[in-house]
Amino acid sequence: MKPNPNLDELLGSFMDGELSPRQRTEVQRMAAHDPQVARRLQQLQNCRSLFCSLPAAKAPSDLLEQVKASLERNSLLQEQPLIGHRSVGAWHLAFRQFVSAAAVIALLGVLGVVVYQILAPVPHGVGPIASDGLLSLPRPDPGITPPATMVADAGFTGRLELRTARLTQVDTRVAREIENSGLSGRLEPDLVANKRVYRITGSREGVNRLVASLSGVWQYIDNAALQVDRPGNSGVPVIVESITPEQAAGIVAQQSTNASIEAAAGYAVMNRMAKNMPGGEIRPLVPYDPSTLLASGSIPKPIETGPDTSTPIPPARPEGKAQVSLTIVLQSTN
Amino acid sequence: MKTVSINIDDSVLVQQSQAGDTTAMERLILKYQHRIYNVILKMCGNADDAAELAQETFVKVIESIEKFKGRSSFYTWLFRIAVNLTLNHCQRSARTATQSLDAEEIDAEGETSQLLKDLLSDDRAVDPALLAQSHELCELAKQSLLELEEPQRAVVVLRDIEGMDYAQIADVLNIELGTVRSRLSRARSNLRETLETMLK
Repeated sequence: MKPNPNLDELLGSFMDGELSPRQRTEVQRMAAHDPQVARRLQQLQNCRSLFCSLPAAKAPSDLLEQVKASLERNSLLQEQPLIGHRSVGAWHLAFRQFVSAAAVIALLGVLGVVVYQILAPVPHGVGPIASDGLLSLPRPDPGITPPATMVADAGFTGRLELRTARLTQVDTRVAREIENSGLSGRLEPDLVANKRVYRITGSREGVNRLVASLSGVWQYIDNAALQVDRPGNSGVPVIVESITPEQAAGIVAQQSTNASIEAAAGYAVMNRMAKNMPGGEIRPLVPYDPSTLLASGSIPKPIETGPDTSTPIPPARPEGKAQVSLTIVLQSTN
Repeated sequence: MKTVSINIDDSVLVQQSQAGDTTAMERLILKYQHRIYNVILKMCGNADDAAELAQETFVKVIESIEKFKGRSSFYTWLFRIAVNLTLNHCQRSARTATQSLDAEEIDAEGETSQLLKDLLSDDRAVDPALLAQSHELCELAKQSLLELEEPQRAVVVLRDIEGMDYAQIADVLNIELGTVRSRLSRARSNLRETLETMLK
């Protein structure tokens, strides 16, 4: 009999008891009346019997134990990566924390430096300080011991050159002021044609008073320059062009040769700048009354207006018997 | 001393297992381990693979028991896991199995040949006890099963070996009832053809 899929499905369902009672009755009727259907049904039942009669295999006796062991292995395998994961994560977290801490420390360090630079007290003698018309001069740091050369060269050696068209008048006035300064006896006039040279040696205070007293002749001076020699003639001397009597007095009034040189260098720069500026001068912030300052006989000291005034400035180191040497040269411009 | 066996319904054991009662789960495993192993073995044809797949089935059941909602019976849920694992395994090793079958020509000889001839004859019924006693014929039957495609093999094994009804097979395989019927019919027809080939 040629297989009929629809019939095979029906007969199979009949065998398996998957038909309704009516369908079962119908199949039984068909098999009873049709030998081919009955034969096919027998073929299918025989074949089915073969597989139904296959002996049932039994699971291994240790299957349950194997299941338990497998569960334990799985839990271990799941834990191991977790542990590894955690350790890697923990290491990563620790590294990130370390980097963060380092970054914070570095940032604090940078901020500290910045804040320190902003708030740190300005050392004495460093940086610009507003003054009463004169360039503020650096004061010796009380915390720093001056170098030995400064102590040894406590004196001052300089040369003030005054060029004038009225040499006679100026010479008379200078000679009188030198005599009045109390430096007489050290006056060494050196008369040369169109030139007068006075070599003056004395105390710093005495020379300072002399220079201050010369302010009256400055109105006749066409050009004035002060040369300040370095201690022991070491190095190039500092020359201040177009120097004013106040500047000259300020330089001489310094407590040490180095301070005088620094003051002279400052004035030299300032005067060169003023020469190149419109009007040819740098006007002071505060109106300056030379008569008052010079009349008092004392050289005005810069008034510090900087932020740090708490640190007391030690009294000026006594000069002892340090001598100041100043050569005044009067040169006729005629 | 008389041992009293208490048959506890699957749903109770499942609830106890879901509550963390390991003894209940062990009872479920012990209850179904042989039937699961037998179905898997008939489907894959290798005892070692069957043991491993059965073990994997129960491990998966234990790990998933909390997710079991009871929409189907525990029985069909359990066999669904087993059959799916086995079908996946068979698909992975299909090439090897095919090569093995191609290389091995199996023919019925002697008593086995006569028994098979009687089985395939259409005029009389064969005593199932005789069939079961013939080891060679059983091996031929197993071999013919393995020559079926996996979907057809699954329905035959679940119906004729495990004894599921069509509804249960449809539930396990997640297919329509009509599909079970037609697939089973084609599978039986193919099995008969395979056995006839072995007889020649």
